[in-house]
Parts: sequence; structure tokens; C-alpha cells
Amino acid sequence: MSCHETRDNEVDADETVALVGCPNVGKSVVFGELAEQYVDVSNYPGTTVDTTEAAFGDAKLTDTPGVYGISSFDEEERVTREIVLEADAVVNVVDATQLNRDLFLTLQLLDMGIPTVVALNMMDEAEADGIDIDADALEAELGVPVVPTVAVDGEGIDELRDRVDEARAPESTSIERWFDELPDDVEATRAEKTLLVEGDEPTAERVSTGKVVADGGVPALAETGQREDVYGHRRRRVEDIVGGVLSREERDSSWAERFSDLMLNPLTGTPIALVMLGGIFYFIGVVVAQKIVGFLETIVFGEYYNPVVNNTVESLLPAAGWAEPVEFMLINGNLGLLTITVQYIVGVLLPLVVAFYFVIGILEDSGMLPRLAVLTDRGLNRIGLNGRAIVPMIVGVGCVTMAVITTRMVGNRRERLISTALLGLAVPCSAQLGIIMGLLAGLGLIWWFGYLGVLLVVLGVAGLFLDRTLPGDSTPLVTELPRMRVPRPRNILRKTYNRTKMFLREAIPLFGVTAIAISVLEYVGGFGLIQRALSPVTALVGLPQEFARVLLLGLVRRDFAAAGMTDMAFTTAETFVGLVVITLFVPCILAMVMILKERDAKSALLMWIGSWVVAFGVGGLLAVIL
Amino acid sequence: MTEVLADTAPGESVSLEQVPDDDVRARLLRLGFLDGTVECRHRLRKGPIVLRRNGTEMALGADLAAEIEISRAGADR
Repeated sequence: MSCHETRDNEVDADETVALVGCPNVGKSVVFGELAEQYVDVSNYPGTTVDTTEAAFGDAKLTDTPGVYGISSFDEEERVTREIVLEADAVVNVVDATQLNRDLFLTLQLLDMGIPTVVALNMMDEAEADGIDIDADALEAELGVPVVPTVAVDGEGIDELRDRVDEARAPESTSIERWFDELPDDVEATRAEKTLLVEGDEPTAERVSTGKVVADGGVPALAETGQREDVYGHRRRRVEDIVGGVLSREERDSSWAERFSDLMLNPLTGTPIALVMLGGIFYFIGVVVAQKIVGFLETIVFGEYYNPVVNNTVESLLPAAGWAEPVEFMLINGNLGLLTITVQYIVGVLLPLVVAFYFVIGILEDSGMLPRLAVLTDRGLNRIGLNGRAIVPMIVGVGCVTMAVITTRMVGNRRERLISTALLGLAVPCSAQLGIIMGLLAGLGLIWWFGYLGVLLVVLGVAGLFLDRTLPGDSTPLVTELPRMRVPRPRNILRKTYNRTKMFLREAIPLFGVTAIAISVLEYVGGFGLIQRALSPVTALVGLPQEFARVLLLGLVRRDFAAAGMTDMAFTTAETFVGLVVITLFVPCILAMVMILKERDAKSALLMWIGSWVVAFGVGGLLAVIL
Repeated sequence: MTEVLADTAPGESVSLEQVPDDDVRARLLRLGFLDGTVECRHRLRKGPIVLRRNGTEMALGADLAAEIEISRAGADR
């Protein structure tokens, strides 16, 4: 849904310089150091992958997602391939501590004939590891400029900037022996030919061969057989080069390595992870979602902003009959376009988004995320997910809306559907959880455990059900574990700022439209109708008709629903059933909009209906049992 | 009987011989994990296995580790 993002304010330039490198090599830091003036973050057209652009002299500098090679194994790689094929020059950022791994990509770029400059980054860490790399010898071996850098300290950046003009590729490389095997009538550049002999399907589909391709079949050009030969040959070249330029001195294992070992051992890793998750929950769920958001909502918006806007609108609009609906839409107490909608976006969403991107940035840069994935892989396998899906689940307890965004990182489409559905269904957000905990505390500890138990059962059963019914297979966990590091604040802040900016640019129009739609529905009396229509289902779970009002409030904000429960005189069992139903019931309107934006309309609708069915099914069952 | 990656214990060095999945094989090949021996760093019970080569660490899910055939370094002494 985010693909229609218009890129009207992109950097205007004839030349494009792309920054390419493996994940976690400091590419974004190099980008930040090289970038001049204007930085623009947006989704790459047609994808959910962010790319960043900035002015760089007369050229446009484009950051690309981190990849280990140019091909099409996932969305990130497809985006990087597109950008590289269009770039005039590439700055290839290489991690000096991982030279053996990273040179595969470098040699692939050179095979493709892409003019390249190599930034040999993290020289400080390499030195600490006892790794000595002869940059001049590497430059001679590769035949392109090699600049040693420590990007986080700005070292080597000036030289890198000066040498981008010298970007070049060797006239020919040993890849050409495979070119002879391509059909004679292929019209392709050297870069495309390289990808063709490596069996890259999108390239094969694009390059015209003049041959008829059977419907649905893979074009004859994309045979994966040769890929292994080409890759294997390139790996041997990498080994030769590394053998000639790198010498290693044995050092004791570093703190980072020892900590990584502790994280990966379930006995020590589980408590570390729990403490960390507790910290994240406290920060996002308590400090930001309750304290900061609470202050903004009750004081800043409740006492100052909303009254001022209400008075201004009332005094500006004439008392004529036509003005009444307009006034209602702009300032109604539920979701007025100028009042509550602004309050949600600035007072609720903005602090949560900033906090969330900040935490994710720290988890990413420190190398914690893939280690958490390893720890939780086995459990998540059972519900059709792999370990990477732990991130949305953790973030979901903080805020479901935010968590929906992180489902991007969990694997294939099927896994994204499962994790989004589970988030929408069974993960209560912190705003709601606070009030629910308060209500349950009044009932007694046993009800609190009962509540958690019901949620876990629903989560497990729904996961098993989706895993069995959805077509296709989930992807196995295959993930690199980057070295653990202490994140650099400047880099975290830069990431947080860029991502927040992009998020708001996409989200604000969506929320505006939603607010108008809800207001119109309310103005024409739709709410009363819905409440009456809901009376059979409220009866099903054994609750009075007023409970329908709680549900409607819950649509707007989940914590409203929980708060609405506090003024109703329910019995213990009724309260328990009501709390379970409002938890399982559809997520708040912000989360729904986000699901719609990240998934498609059909999946969003199915999740919505599914949550209704499950919420009332489980509620009805509990009402009978209790 | 062929041995699979899931059978290895932490500290052992093995060569990955057969990786059935095309994409996974290509990814391991790119990262150099099929070039020579790799060290098994961690194995979680019924869970992923963590391999290391030249300072690069990779985690592979349990199902995958059960499909990858290996040979042990120096097993044919």
C-alpha cells in the first residue's frame, strides 16, 4: 500500500552514486558523513524497503539496503540490484573485520563492470582484533581505489570523497568465460550478462531473447546450474586475494564475543533477554505510552490545545445551518479533524514512533536482534514463524500499531500475515494493559493469571490454525549474527529522525481520511445503529447492551474500551469476560489503518472479521464456563 | 549413514557437503560457508545451530540443520 508514495521532492541530479555493502558494515554512517544538504527517506517504489537519498556534489547519493550479493533472494536484494544497475558509480563499503565475507560482493560489482570505489571501513575494530590489511596491496589486486576508513569517527571520509571520481572497474574479469555460453542474440550490458550467468530470474525476464517462453515457465536464460560455478569461482578469487593482503594475529576473545556467547546460551541468554525486554516494555509501555503520552493528552491537548481550537473554530464559523456539519467534522469530541486527530498524531503517535524507532535502532546497531531470533526460533517455529518474528511480538506489547511495521522483517508474505494477525488478535497494547491490570487487580491474582492463560491459549491456537490453513511454507531461520557493539548515539538519532519523518509523511494523510470517515458515520447516526445491531452478540457473551458502547470506543482507541469498563457495574465473571473480549476484539483504529497500509485490503478485512469471531467465540465460551 | 549438521556439537569443525535448498545453498556459498570447514559455535536444544567461519557467524534453523549433510574434518584419519 505504501508503493504509491510520490517522490516529488527527490534530489535532482544527472549522476547517481550508490552506497553498497553488506548489512552492518557502517553504510548508513558513511552515507551520513558523505551526504550534503538534503536527505530524503522514502520507500523504494513498489516495495516496503526504505532508501535514503542526498545531494553529493553534482550527483545524487543513494543508500541501499545491506546485502551480501547482487541477486534476487529477497526484497532488499531486488531493490539493491535495481539501484546498482542504474547507478553511475558505487561506493562499496567493506567491513575490514569481515574482508573474506564482504569481498564477494566487491568482486561481483567489478565483474558487472560497475565503476567502484572501496571504503575499507571499521579499520579500528580490525586492528583491535589483530587483523592487518595492506590497503595498497588490496587496491592493486582489485584494480580500483581502496580507502581505509573509520566512518564513526569521520576518519578517511575526506579521502573517500575525493576519490569517488576515480571510481572504475577493470576492463575485463574472469567472469567473461561464462558469457560465451549465453545465446548470441542476447542484448545485455556486462552487468546484466553477469546476472544472467548467475541465473538471476528478474534479469532473464527483462532481457529480450527473441525466444518464445512457455506460459508461467522460467525463461530459458535463468538456469541456476551455472550460478554455483560462478559463485564458487568468485569465492576462490576472494580467498586468493584475502590470503595475499591480510595477516592475522591471534587475540583473546573480546567482551563482545563473550557477551554474544552468553546471549546464545539459553541458560544465560533467556534471563538477559527478559531483563532487556522488561527494560523495553518499561520505556515504551510505561514511560512513553503512559507518562509522556498521558501528559501530552491531558495537559497539553486537554487543557490548552483542544479548548483553544474549539473556541477558535466556533467563533470563526457562522451560526448558519450548513456550518454545523463542518464544525462537527473539525472539532467533534471523538475524532475531530483539528482536535482529537491532531492529538492522536502529535500527542500519541509521535512520541511512540520516536521511542520505538529509537529502541529498534539500538537493538539493530548493537546486534541484539538476530540473537533474540536464535533464542526464540524453536518456539515460534510451532506457530509457523521463525525466530525473527519475536521482534513484532515484543514491540506489540508496547504498541500494536508500531509492531505492525516491524512485521516487514519476519520473512515471507505468509509469515507477515501470521504475525500481523496474531498481533491484531491476541497482543494487548500497553495503553490497554495498564487499565486492564488495574481492573484485574480488583478481582484478584487468580483472574490475572486466568487472563494471561486465555491470551496465550488463543495466541497458540490461532497460530497453529493459521500455520495449518495458510498455503505455502514458512522460511527457515537463516541469519547472520553481526558482531555485538555499543551503538553510537549519533547514528541512532539520525536513523530515528529519518524513519520518523518518513513514517509521519505516510501516516498523516491516512489518519486524516479515517478521521473524516468516522466523523461522518457518527454525524449521520451510524453509531446508534451499530450499537443496536450489536445487541445479539453482546447477549451471546452474557453482557448487557451497554457493552456495545465499550466495543465502539475500543475501535477508536483500545484503552478507551478498557477505561469504559471501569464505570460499569459488572460482576466479577462479567468483568473478566468483558476484558478478554475487548483484548481479542479488533485493534484500535491506528493499528487497523497500519495493517491496511502494510498488508492488503482483503487480508485486513479478514483479520478484522477473524478478530470479531474469535473475540465473541472465546467470550461466549467463557461466559458458559464461568 | 550420512551425518547432518544437526548432529554436530559445539566446538566441532565440519564441512557442509549437501545443502538441498537452492537459495540457502547460494547464500551460504556467497558468504564462504561452503569453501572449507566451519566451526559449530552453539547448538540450542531442538533449536538453531550457530556456525562460524573467519569471524562471520551464521544461525541456521533446526529444520534446515537436519537437512544439511556434513563431513567431519579429520574423520577419515
